[in-house]
Amino acid sequence: MAGDAARQAVSVEYREVTKRYPGASGAAIKSLSLEVPAGEICVLVGPSGCGKTTAMRMVNRTVEITDGDILVGGVSVREQQPAELRRQTGYVIQQIGLFSHRTIADNIATVPSLLDWDRDRVRTRVAELLELIGLGPEMADRYPAQLSGGQQQRVGVARALAADPPLMLMDEPFGAIDPINRERLQNEFLRLQAELRKTVLFVTHDIDEAIKMGDRVAVLKEGGILAQYATPAELLMAPADGFVEDFVGADRALKRLALLRVSDVDLWQAPLAFVGQATSEVRAKLDGAEVPHALLVDSERRPLGWLSERDLARDTVPATPDASPNPRLEVDDVLRDALSDLMQAESMYAPVLDGRGAIVGVLSVEVISDFLHSPAAAEEEHTAAERPLAE
Amino acid sequence: MSDVALLGQVEIRDRSEDASCVADNGAFCFDWAVDNFDRYVTPTLEHLVLVTVSVAAGLVLAFALALLSHRRRWLIPPLIAGTGILYTIPSVAFFVLLLPITGRGTVTAIIALTAYTLQIIYRNIVAGLANVPEGSKDAGRGMGMTPGQVLWRVELPLAVPEIVAGVRIATVSTVAIATLAFLAGAGGLGAQIYSQLDFKTNIVLAGGLCIAMAIVFDLLLQLTQRLLTPWEPRRLQRRPAAEVDGALEVPA
Repeated sequence: MAGDAARQAVSVEYREVTKRYPGASGAAIKSLSLEVPAGEICVLVGPSGCGKTTAMRMVNRTVEITDGDILVGGVSVREQQPAELRRQTGYVIQQIGLFSHRTIADNIATVPSLLDWDRDRVRTRVAELLELIGLGPEMADRYPAQLSGGQQQRVGVARALAADPPLMLMDEPFGAIDPINRERLQNEFLRLQAELRKTVLFVTHDIDEAIKMGDRVAVLKEGGILAQYATPAELLMAPADGFVEDFVGADRALKRLALLRVSDVDLWQAPLAFVGQATSEVRAKLDGAEVPHALLVDSERRPLGWLSERDLARDTVPATPDASPNPRLEVDDVLRDALSDLMQAESMYAPVLDGRGAIVGVLSVEVISDFLHSPAAAEEEHTAAERPLAE
Repeated sequence: MSDVALLGQVEIRDRSEDASCVADNGAFCFDWAVDNFDRYVTPTLEHLVLVTVSVAAGLVLAFALALLSHRRRWLIPPLIAGTGILYTIPSVAFFVLLLPITGRGTVTAIIALTAYTLQIIYRNIVAGLANVPEGSKDAGRGMGMTPGQVLWRVELPLAVPEIVAGVRIATVSTVAIATLAFLAGAGGLGAQIYSQLDFKTNIVLAGGLCIAMAIVFDLLLQLTQRLLTPWEPRRLQRRPAAEVDGALEVPA
């Protein structure tokens, strides 16, 4: 597997980096300082003209630094030959930039052949990468024009990974892909990254993508000024200023829900009822219960439905309750999707099931809203996303 | 020239039908053409040499100019203007201007014909290089190719279709212009046409050879382009890219 011989990821440190383009009145990047720990994805995000692409391109010197320095793995990029530096750095761009006159295999082999790897080593590596990005070996001899946009972008990522660089630069890599495939590619990349643990600088203008992809997010505003550098959760909970607050959007509470799973919140409990049980027992349990409805479950505690007043007016609990138990949620569901399911079903409560389908609790809109305002929420968001608090 | 004088030059065969065709100066006397075809071999070969050498020299020169102006973009407008001026010089005047320097003969003709190809080929190389997608160049640079590697491994291969297109136009037009090379004393099919200007069969035969030569050159160059650009989609093997990734396999 590719990961075996993987080179150690490297940290990237911007030290008071300034970029002024000749003839431009202001700086494109103004005294930018930030540190990306090895093995993390740092997303540079901001409106167009904020200099995020410039900031990224100075790392491999496709744009030269005017003032300040960037250290990659502790070594100044200014002390390295541009071509050498770039061969050590993965590079993925929005236009993908596959060489349409070369086969997929030759495209992937671009950097290895610049590094004069021998033929067998290149062939093995190409096969490895095709498998990694989920393309069949028969794709090796095709030309880029014969692939779909999503496949081309996967090849672009494979090409950047070919020489196993410790650092990847990705400039709006999924920007030109339709929304469905973009989401798929994002998930695939996160899965790859969990395995490869590269240091990644990722540029996007899409705050949702930034929050989804980033271990850390650097929000830049016009003139190349760093507005905030924080984890996605911090960004959503505590925007540094009005600009960041506007940029993350009025729906930032909903975005926070995208970072959480149902298992992160304290669920309510509903009184459980079993078929044939005396309704008087069930009614007794309803007094003072968190959920004022009884849920009928089978012997495996799998929900069968909600009991109505009419059901409870009988002597024993019927086998076919009036109300279905839908929507049923799972503990691993993303909280935002769970809320959406609740709203869509016009339902107050939804049973939450574990992997075997047994009830573990009940989710309601109120539970979510309470949770978002609780101090525990901040803590949970970090653990949920497996993201350490900054500093 | 009168018919009588013309007949004097023509070897009259014993077939009466043929003889009358020639005597009547018919549109095309097939038997005469067959019997006299050997007269056309040398002019055709001369023509072939003129075209091949001129276009090859033009390609080499235009290519050198294109490389020269690739990193010195300010050179492009004056080079286009300069080759454009060469292109507009009437060929007769061009030959006459060259006569005191290079004398009568093939060299003079080739110099003029080469000069005419420069404009077309140079423009096409420049356009081909300009049309290389920015993303491909950016990717090449960003992955650590030197400027020379970007040029030879990315830009020039991607410009091949336009470069070949330029060579095709230049070749076909050179086949036509080379019919005037006899004015510089370089022979060719033009000399043959001019030698019997009012004998229709001669005009049709020599002119037809010119057209055939242009077509054959064009087909050969098309074939060359296909061999040089295996990545270009062809009607027969074009494979539509799947719209959704899940459905990527198109049955062969």
